[in-house]
Amino acid sequence: MTYDKPVPTPSPLTKPFYDGLKEGKLMLPRCQDCNRVHWYPRYICPFCHSINIAWIQGSGEGRIHTFAVQHRASGGWAKEVPFVTAFIDLNEGDRMATVLRGIDPAVPSAINIGSKVRVEFEKAAQDIYIPFWRVVGD
Amino acid sequence: MGLSKSAAIVGAAESNEIGYPEVPKTSLELHIEAIKNVSIQTGIPISAIDGIFSAGMSSEIAEHLGIHPKYIDTTSVGGCSFEIHVHHALLAIFAGVIDVALVTHGQNGWSARRIGHGGGGGYGGAGITSPSVQMTIPYGFSGAPSHYSHVMVRHNHLYGSTPEDFANVAVVTRDWATLNPRAVMFSEETHEFGGKITTETVNNAPMISWPLTMLHCCLVTDHGGAVLIARPEIAKSLNTKPVWIAGAGENMSHSNMLEMGDFAATSAFASSKTAYEMAGLGPADMELALLYDSFTITPALTAEMVGLAPRGEGHLLWKEGHAAKGGRLPINTNGGGLSFNHSGMYGMQLLIEAYRQLSGTAEDGVNGIAGKQTNAATCIVNGTGGSLSTTGTLILVADD
Repeated sequence: MTYDKPVPTPSPLTKPFYDGLKEGKLMLPRCQDCNRVHWYPRYICPFCHSINIAWIQGSGEGRIHTFAVQHRASGGWAKEVPFVTAFIDLNEGDRMATVLRGIDPAVPSAINIGSKVRVEFEKAAQDIYIPFWRVVGD
Repeated sequence: MGLSKSAAIVGAAESNEIGYPEVPKTSLELHIEAIKNVSIQTGIPISAIDGIFSAGMSSEIAEHLGIHPKYIDTTSVGGCSFEIHVHHALLAIFAGVIDVALVTHGQNGWSARRIGHGGGGGYGGAGITSPSVQMTIPYGFSGAPSHYSHVMVRHNHLYGSTPEDFANVAVVTRDWATLNPRAVMFSEETHEFGGKITTETVNNAPMISWPLTMLHCCLVTDHGGAVLIARPEIAKSLNTKPVWIAGAGENMSHSNMLEMGDFAATSAFASSKTAYEMAGLGPADMELALLYDSFTITPALTAEMVGLAPRGEGHLLWKEGHAAKGGRLPINTNGGGLSFNHSGMYGMQLLIEAYRQLSGTAEDGVNGIAGKQTNAATCIVNGTGGSLSTTGTLILVADD
């Protein structure tokens, strides 16, 4: 089945992230001066304003910060409603957006903020993979 | 003389039609109607305007009017742009650069469905090539409701509040709308979901982005509005009553919700602090609050941020009836973005209602519509733009 949802266009700034996804790695930008990981990728560290930023391999683990159940959507997502969007607190720090896997959108009361999630990757186009997060524990 | 009260709002008017016009309108048309109306109301000729402030359309509007302003501001940061314009106009007048500022709004949120947007500004967010957009676009977020729902869920988690608690915001705001004949939700005649509602109506409305049902969400309408701001000498020479800008502040916490650090807080804490300090007033001095209500969570969270309620308890202002007619702190007396009018950016509607209530013109009627709901002499106005991103706060006071 062809992937019919929005596919991001990598830029030179974000290419290392997409290169990592192809190899099954979640690469994250980390400032070499203050050592903090930030998300999304930037030209400058938003914490200390250093421009010495390097990519590290993330653990692919985190926890749900908050979530919502989408009942309206457009394009390819319209066929999948309801689905659960969420913001994930990465173990390395900072936060990622996602659509949660491994939950029942019809029972939002069973989805818990703070639950453990693990990343997985879905092929969206030639050379483009997208990270999604699956609930794996409490 | 200090910055506080160095300028006043001297008039506020709307376009001839708002809401759902029978003949579709352009954003420019809505702007121009409101500008003409506020010029007539104040007696200030359009040619006397020397500063223009709009969300993204200032050069087009100035050209259309045939004026040559010496201060041009087209700040477009979502619905709070207009509160921020007032802040900037205050600074420009205080600095002596201009005498008369026009803050103008025209947005055909409703008509655009038939004739296209044709301007009207909007949220100056990041474009498709930006890294923040790359990292959110794959995930099916669909407009403002799909973002704000995450904030209510976080608030529920942190404070034990429930979506039903926030339904009270919709109910009380609707009660206000039933007193405003220009409100889209004025009655069952004006809208199929119009007239009085209960929390049950809100809970049972179609689900948009859980936990937000349709009645937790604002309208999508047309609206044009304009206010004129002038230095004290001019303000005192007019037939309209001035409403003084005692305090103003703006701030932002993020642009993309991906960067919202605390999902149960907004930059209204910072913008209101600036405004209160300038005014020499505090939350306890406010007799009326006009708090941007794009969704039920928005004014409730804002009330916490601007000090009108303790953290986690903003919704209680509505649930316990304080925000309602006869309550100790009336909030959103026009019926709000939830039930009066919301064109996509709602900050101008806040300014117009603040002027109406504080100047006494609501008694006589602006555009022929009466609706004086309070005897308030002080009002806090807070606009929120983007995804709870940017805020502008004003402390307005009535003339002595």
